[in-house]
Amino acid sequence: MLRRPAIGEAKKGSAEVVILSIVEQDSQHGYAIAKLIERRSGGDLRFTLASLYATLYRMEERGWIKGRWVEKPGQRRRCYYRITEQGRKVLASQRADWGRFLAVLSQVAGVEAV
Amino acid sequence: MASHDWQALVARHARATGAGNLPPQTIDELAAHLEDLYLEGIEAGLSDSDAFSSAEAALQESALSIVPAPRTRTPASRPWAVPPERERGLIGLSGDLRFAWRQMRRAPSFAIVAIVTLGLGAGAATAIFTVVNTILLRPLPFSAPQQLVMLWEQNLEKSLPREHVSPVNFMDYRAIPAVFQDAAAWWRPDINLADPGAEPVRVSTIEVSGNVFEVLGVSPALGAGFPARGPFYSRDLIAVISDRLWREHYHSDPSVIGKPLRVSNGQYTIAGVMPPGFNFPDDVDLWLRLNWDLTQHSRGAHFMQAIARMKPGVTVEQASRELSRLTARLGSENPATNRAWNAYATPLLDDLLGYYRLALIVLLGAVALVLLTACLNVASLLLARATARAREIAVRAALGASRARLVRQMLVESLLLSAAGTAAGAAAAFVFVKAAVAWLPMAVPRLEETTIDARVLAFTIAVVAVTAVLFGLLPAVILSRTNASEALKAGTRMAGSLRGRRWNRALVVSEVALACAVLLASALLVRSVSRMLRAPIGIVSTDVVVARVQVSGGSIRSWDDVEQFYAAFLDNAGAQPGVEAVGAATALPLDAAWATRLPFGVEGTTVAALDNPLAQHVSVTPGYFETLKVPLAAGRLFTAADTKATEPVIVVNETFARRVFPGGDAVGRRIISKTRNIGPLGVNLFGPVPFRIIGVVGDIQHAPIGRPAEPAIYHTARQFPFRPMHIVARGRDHAAVAAALRQAVRAVDPSLPLSEMRTMDERVLAAVAAPRLLMFVLTAFAVITAALAGIGVYGLLACVVNDRRREMAIRMALGARPAALARNVAGQGLLLVSIGVFVGLSVAQLLFGRLLTQVLFETRTTDPVAAVAAAALLLGAAVIACTAPARRAATVAPLEGLKSE
Repeated sequence: MLRRPAIGEAKKGSAEVVILSIVEQDSQHGYAIAKLIERRSGGDLRFTLASLYATLYRMEERGWIKGRWVEKPGQRRRCYYRITEQGRKVLASQRADWGRFLAVLSQVAGVEAV
Repeated sequence: MASHDWQALVARHARATGAGNLPPQTIDELAAHLEDLYLEGIEAGLSDSDAFSSAEAALQESALSIVPAPRTRTPASRPWAVPPERERGLIGLSGDLRFAWRQMRRAPSFAIVAIVTLGLGAGAATAIFTVVNTILLRPLPFSAPQQLVMLWEQNLEKSLPREHVSPVNFMDYRAIPAVFQDAAAWWRPDINLADPGAEPVRVSTIEVSGNVFEVLGVSPALGAGFPARGPFYSRDLIAVISDRLWREHYHSDPSVIGKPLRVSNGQYTIAGVMPPGFNFPDDVDLWLRLNWDLTQHSRGAHFMQAIARMKPGVTVEQASRELSRLTARLGSENPATNRAWNAYATPLLDDLLGYYRLALIVLLGAVALVLLTACLNVASLLLARATARAREIAVRAALGASRARLVRQMLVESLLLSAAGTAAGAAAAFVFVKAAVAWLPMAVPRLEETTIDARVLAFTIAVVAVTAVLFGLLPAVILSRTNASEALKAGTRMAGSLRGRRWNRALVVSEVALACAVLLASALLVRSVSRMLRAPIGIVSTDVVVARVQVSGGSIRSWDDVEQFYAAFLDNAGAQPGVEAVGAATALPLDAAWATRLPFGVEGTTVAALDNPLAQHVSVTPGYFETLKVPLAAGRLFTAADTKATEPVIVVNETFARRVFPGGDAVGRRIISKTRNIGPLGVNLFGPVPFRIIGVVGDIQHAPIGRPAEPAIYHTARQFPFRPMHIVARGRDHAAVAAALRQAVRAVDPSLPLSEMRTMDERVLAAVAAPRLLMFVLTAFAVITAALAGIGVYGLLACVVNDRRREMAIRMALGARPAALARNVAGQGLLLVSIGVFVGLSVAQLLFGRLLTQVLFETRTTDPVAAVAAAALLLGAAVIACTAPARRAATVAPLEGLKSE
């Protein structure tokens, strides 16, 4: 298992691929995205409020995801993010990159992918 | 479950951490997230306050400032389509504009100060440019105006740099085939309109050669005017009238053409009405066609004004060269009248504007400094604010915004500020210029034509662009260099502020330097104008009322009648209550229009014709010198006993006595004046006979202030009568004196008008009107720049005190005395101002020393009094600017600083 500081480093680069993979299937709002990341990473990956939304907005600006405001009766309006075509391409290429990276890492450093 | 205002919580936190006002959508999104966290805590069984704390903690660990602000999503209107790549730049710009707009709304007081500052600078610049555009840049309303030149004569040996031309010489100049197409000449007779049954009115008149409108390339609006290719002069008396005279005197009657026009020296036929707004050579209402042969006059009498149209392609310098070549020849052929006389041409526009042209160039320079000061001021404001935004910018840089993108964003903010400032300033300037033009007491040539045209608008837009770059670029570049990690690590009390403050100091020093330069210029003008007003003109001007009379009409037929009219009029006026003394003369002191410098001989000496001395001839009545309190140096003044029946006598001035009779024995000697006529309106009743000098009086200034005194010969009006005379009357109650003069003229000849009634002091003031106007405007600019510099100093010190609050509190806690801290702050401010003053005084010499010299009177640009005054004023302003920050430094509570981190 990676040690904490290393996770921190890796997290920076991986934040986008993680978020893309979360919204790949379904559009999600920010809180749900945070919860899903936390749950899927077993609590190892956590975003602060600000970094989560900063990343979301940046990705949106790049055209990888799209936010849509949805208002439901009796609820706060929320912005649901879904992946765009461009986002899918980015996700696919990043998955490939990370796959190669982890493979190399396990081969060279004897690290096993979890 | 208690309800919490999550939006307010987010907004508060955002402001507290320097993220500023987040867009409502972002706040909503974050608030929803927090609420979800809170609900999660409640569901997990936490108490309300614990659940709230955990949500709040999530917020606390977030540096919201990294959340990019430019998001304007609205629930309904968000477009789904990804914009095509090529539209991005534009969309980015509109985003920048929206962001800039929010930045302005976020700090309204900053925006207001910046806009007002820029408005002052841009307003002053626009106002001056509007005037420059009207007066200097717009072509004159004549065809091909660049080919038009005025002709002048000069005699540098006699220190006469610019004289009217002699009619005979003019005819020779006109015939130079190589350079001139044609030339027209005129002089100014004194003319009353004397329509039967109507009050006689003085009209501004020139008698001008018949080709004048062809030379200018203009035609009358009504009638044929002077016939095209008609005679240069003619006994056939025709006249052209102005649109103004046509409306006011003839009620816009179109049948006025061909009607008779009775004036004091004859009856003319109206041949045309000029178009509205046509005023050449100035506010003339009546153009009489020349009715005498110029070649039959004298080469020695310089009283005609002349304009010439150069052939296409000929330059002013070529024309002047040809004129010089001709005058050299004339000088050798006619040594008695033409030796040492030269002629030259000046562009018509330069000539029309005179002093105002230089004054405008000076003002243009000054206003550039005002604008620059305003820009520097806003730059330092932006810088001060930008250091507070360093964190935001660092985060945006860290999130991938390129440096160019950051600079662009900041420039867009500057552009918005400068556009707002310039729009406000320019609007105010247009209103102000209109009002000022209407209010100005003196006639500045062409000024009443002020309008806003495309050039002014282009200028205004250029001001917006240039100022935005000037004040926006420096802060933008400095900030974009801010080291991201440094800024992020530092607390709320900014890193990067140190470098910012250093630049800020440089800006303040520059501001003070510029303000100092403008202050110096205005102080020099004040000195110059006060010197002009104090320059000796040879008379006591207080409590003297002047007016003008032109005798004409049925009852006065002979020169004896003229002489008797004035004798009776002055007797009557002198006897009126309130009048202490009264007299009359053909030319008043300071009269620059005086152009009759004539040669004379001295009896008993054989003066070589070449050295024929020149003197001004003035005809005065008994009482004239007494009224003006001109000192008598030797001999006696004229009395009523000096008449046509007694010996011809003259009084000369001290310069004449000194030059012609260096032995000091002028009184009793006789000179031979060959002068029979001075223009057609005065006459020497004796002819060319010797005149005995009976007295020597002090020099009276008969030229613009500052010219050296010239020899002058005073005749008595009883021996050398003139039809038009200037009346001078002394008395404490000016209104009573004016009434007395009116009463006296009515008693002697009710058909005569009194014109140009005012006090001698007003005349003296009017003689310095142009430099005074320049002085007032420059002083206004100096006040603006000094105020801006003061605000700059204040702003900087306020920032410094803010930055150093903690340090000062610690010092205070360690026992420093408040007064010492205050002195320290004030000392910093005064040091900067002193450096600025020093730089400003030195740079001012380099910047516009030479230009200023040309508008100053007997004042050098190194005048120490002006320099000290400028420095003292600025230091005074600086002391005021330092007071508040210094006081704040002295009242820092020792504990406050310690708590503030």
